[in-house]
Amino acid sequence: MFVYIIKRLFQLIPTFIGATMLMFLISQLVPGDFFKAKELEPNVRPETIQRMRAEFGLDKPVYVQYVNWMKNLAVGNLGQSFVSNQPVWQRIARPMRNSMYLAILSIILLWLVSIPAGVYSAVRQYSFGDQAVSVISYLGLATPNFFLAQVIILALFLTRTLTKDWFGFNQLIFPVAGMTSSNYLSMSPWNQFWDVMWHMFIPSLVVATSGMAGFTRVLRAQMIEYLGSDFIRTARAKGVGHTKVTYKHALRPAIIPFVAGIGNLLPALVGGAGLVEVVMSWPGITPTFLTALQSQDIYVVLGLLVITTLLLMAGNLISDLLLAAVDPRIRYN
Amino acid sequence: MKRLLTLISLMALAASAFAQPFVWPDSWSNATPGEAVRGGELRISLIGDPRTFNPVTSAESQALSDYLFTNGAAVLIIRGPDSDEWLPYGASSFTASEDGMTVDVTVRDGMKWSDGSPITAQDYYLRYVLETDPDIGSNGYDSWFMGDDQITVEKVGDNGLRFHFPRPDRLAFPVVAVAPVPDAVFGAAYRSGGAEAVKALWGTDVDVASTIWSNAFVPTVFQPGERIILQRNPYFGEWNVDSAGNALPYLDTYSMTIAGDLDSALNLYLAGDIDQFSPRNLDDIGVINNAVNNGDIDVTVMESVSPVASSQFIVWNWNKASDPDKQALFRNANFRRAMAHVMDRDAIIDLVYNGAGLPMYTNVYPINDYWVNHDVEKYPYDPEKASELMASIGYDRKNADGLLINAEGKTASFILATNAGNTAREQIAAIFGDAAREIGVDVQVQAIDFNLLVDQLLSEGEDRPFDAILIGLTGGSRDWPFGVNVIPCATNLHMYNTSDACITAQETLMGQLFNVGRETLDTEAARDIGYEIQATEADLMPILYAVSPMAHYSWSASLHGYHNEGQINPLLGAYELPLVFMAR
Repeated sequence: MFVYIIKRLFQLIPTFIGATMLMFLISQLVPGDFFKAKELEPNVRPETIQRMRAEFGLDKPVYVQYVNWMKNLAVGNLGQSFVSNQPVWQRIARPMRNSMYLAILSIILLWLVSIPAGVYSAVRQYSFGDQAVSVISYLGLATPNFFLAQVIILALFLTRTLTKDWFGFNQLIFPVAGMTSSNYLSMSPWNQFWDVMWHMFIPSLVVATSGMAGFTRVLRAQMIEYLGSDFIRTARAKGVGHTKVTYKHALRPAIIPFVAGIGNLLPALVGGAGLVEVVMSWPGITPTFLTALQSQDIYVVLGLLVITTLLLMAGNLISDLLLAAVDPRIRYN
Repeated sequence: MKRLLTLISLMALAASAFAQPFVWPDSWSNATPGEAVRGGELRISLIGDPRTFNPVTSAESQALSDYLFTNGAAVLIIRGPDSDEWLPYGASSFTASEDGMTVDVTVRDGMKWSDGSPITAQDYYLRYVLETDPDIGSNGYDSWFMGDDQITVEKVGDNGLRFHFPRPDRLAFPVVAVAPVPDAVFGAAYRSGGAEAVKALWGTDVDVASTIWSNAFVPTVFQPGERIILQRNPYFGEWNVDSAGNALPYLDTYSMTIAGDLDSALNLYLAGDIDQFSPRNLDDIGVINNAVNNGDIDVTVMESVSPVASSQFIVWNWNKASDPDKQALFRNANFRRAMAHVMDRDAIIDLVYNGAGLPMYTNVYPINDYWVNHDVEKYPYDPEKASELMASIGYDRKNADGLLINAEGKTASFILATNAGNTAREQIAAIFGDAAREIGVDVQVQAIDFNLLVDQLLSEGEDRPFDAILIGLTGGSRDWPFGVNVIPCATNLHMYNTSDACITAQETLMGQLFNVGRETLDTEAARDIGYEIQATEADLMPILYAVSPMAHYSWSASLHGYHNEGQINPLLGAYELPLVFMAR
């Protein structure tokens, strides 16, 4: 196993270098650079813009820029943000942490809802409940997250109007934007925790819905396969109860692909929850990434891509190792 | 020794007694000091995190940076919303020499930084020193130059500064309106570590509570991606009072929630989490009015208050050596005048801006009405007149496709590019293109990447890679609203002709008028010169101006003390922060 891991790690090096070259090349194909918009300012002299470009090394040939960037990368330096003139790591660390909060809660919500729903659908195949789970799952899959977030925001505003008319309660039951309340800093640590959870619930739920459909349907199929297999029939023949058969004998092997896939969640943890973060003003990595893209803050973009690539490679390795751990049929030589 | 100390104390007391506070005029607010309520919080939104807290290296322009680094700081001179006259603010007095080459400033006594230390002439002088050091790369660097000649500052005595201008300049006073930089922090860093040490100061990782400012409110909390909280500067009220002598500001707290984008900011506003929002268009106003009618929020909505400080225009490329026919067409004034006659500004205002826009005929934005020459040739929408002008340059018959052709059978055809994603510009281009095709001029509208568009526009030489571009510029000055990089030939934003020389006599004339006007200190005389620039440009018609959209405002009904009617616009702002208060 140890030799296998070392071998895999060495194989990752050329993959990583290839990926960085591709990223850098694509980033250079975009017309213009960070200072382009400055050229449209009527009172900024062209020589000033040239000086700024030179300061960030943008006047050098592309291959020189790439080599310099890789040299920095080798010592763990992701470069400097043009926008904030601070190290890229400093610029992205906090948004990554915020995205991670969102990802963890949404994964918990996803598992909490999908596992019972998948099991129920398999056990009560073609029942009304099974059909309902399927319809809801597909709706979740078909509705883009950013749109669902907007629908929920609208629903929250409408709910406020109703609660005001009916109960005189003119407050939103969940926040429509942000991560904390304005009085967050004056709260106790416990209340701060709940404040973040309160802000996080809707965006997490939205993110979770898109995964629920796939998760539920695959688990249902896995469960149906195992519930019809010989060892389950044997267990039932020996008098094992329905609950035990379902949750111990069938669910455990059925869930193996999901456990093995945990490693793949690594890049998702810091990769951001997509446009939900933008719509709900969650200070995560997606808005940071989009802002960096729009302003061509190229080292921030590349820094994020590098981290995601590294985590993706590490995640794949972890997934393979986990698979061996949970599935006795797989062994590494 | 004791006597000496007593004497020094008495002298200090006497000095502070002579230190006159700045009295904020009643005419800058729609409320009187008697109505003001002390305390409370004004909550606004920011689109993104501040990029730095360093006042020397900041290059951004948003609510926080504008407030901290310029508008809200103890600038030497200041202008209110009611007049273009400059008043001493951080200065106790200032005088300009007869020839306009020097301005002498005496720094006000009694001003303090937010840590209680005195603000001195050295703090202002330091701003000049740091901004003119090219190694620091300050965004203010270019403002210290007139062409290639530098404006210089010297210290005079303990609290005097003298600004030297290479020639008389209408833009001199905005240069004098510098904000101080704390010498104890930035000066010390500069003296010990040079430019690099200054650049390393006060990034977004700084503990903002440790930074010092001259403003009414100073940042005390910064939660990246979430909010910035500014609290009242306890020393500001010592030298800033209202007309009744009350210390300013009235509010305790000024906070900014980082919304990410304007859609989220609107949601926050509708949720009652912020007190102010600038609606982008009439759709936003409709949503806000709906919430008001439902009784969900209690806010004031001010629709189409003033034009914005920006323009939308079409410019043709005069440097197209690789296509002599097109170059000749684009250089022909009657062609451009014909195109002006198919610019249907009323349709654009109705269809693109839902009626919230003003037609624009000159390079001066309508918001700067004082400087706008309303008598220039306007070339109103008139397809028949356009056809006549096209006929006058040889395009007097149509081919089977309905396109105008000349004697050689060549069509009048060009590509009009604009930046993809800017829906207003895409719509304007489409409306213009349709109208031009009606008279037989083939306009192919292309939406391309913004950077590519700018690259094409700013390309130089005799052969540039575009036909026509629809784009806009922003900015604007109340002193001389003509761009130094726009009007004179051979400057980088002289967009229609970036060869190294003027092609027409009108270009030469406009360049000369620009220089004379900028050096004319008498405002009315300068305006007359500005009028001549606009009239000359309208005659040449190198740039076809379209419309200027309107600005809208909305804020909590509890907010009071904002500008009087007619004094709210993107150049003047909506209020003076020390004078606003929240009614309970």
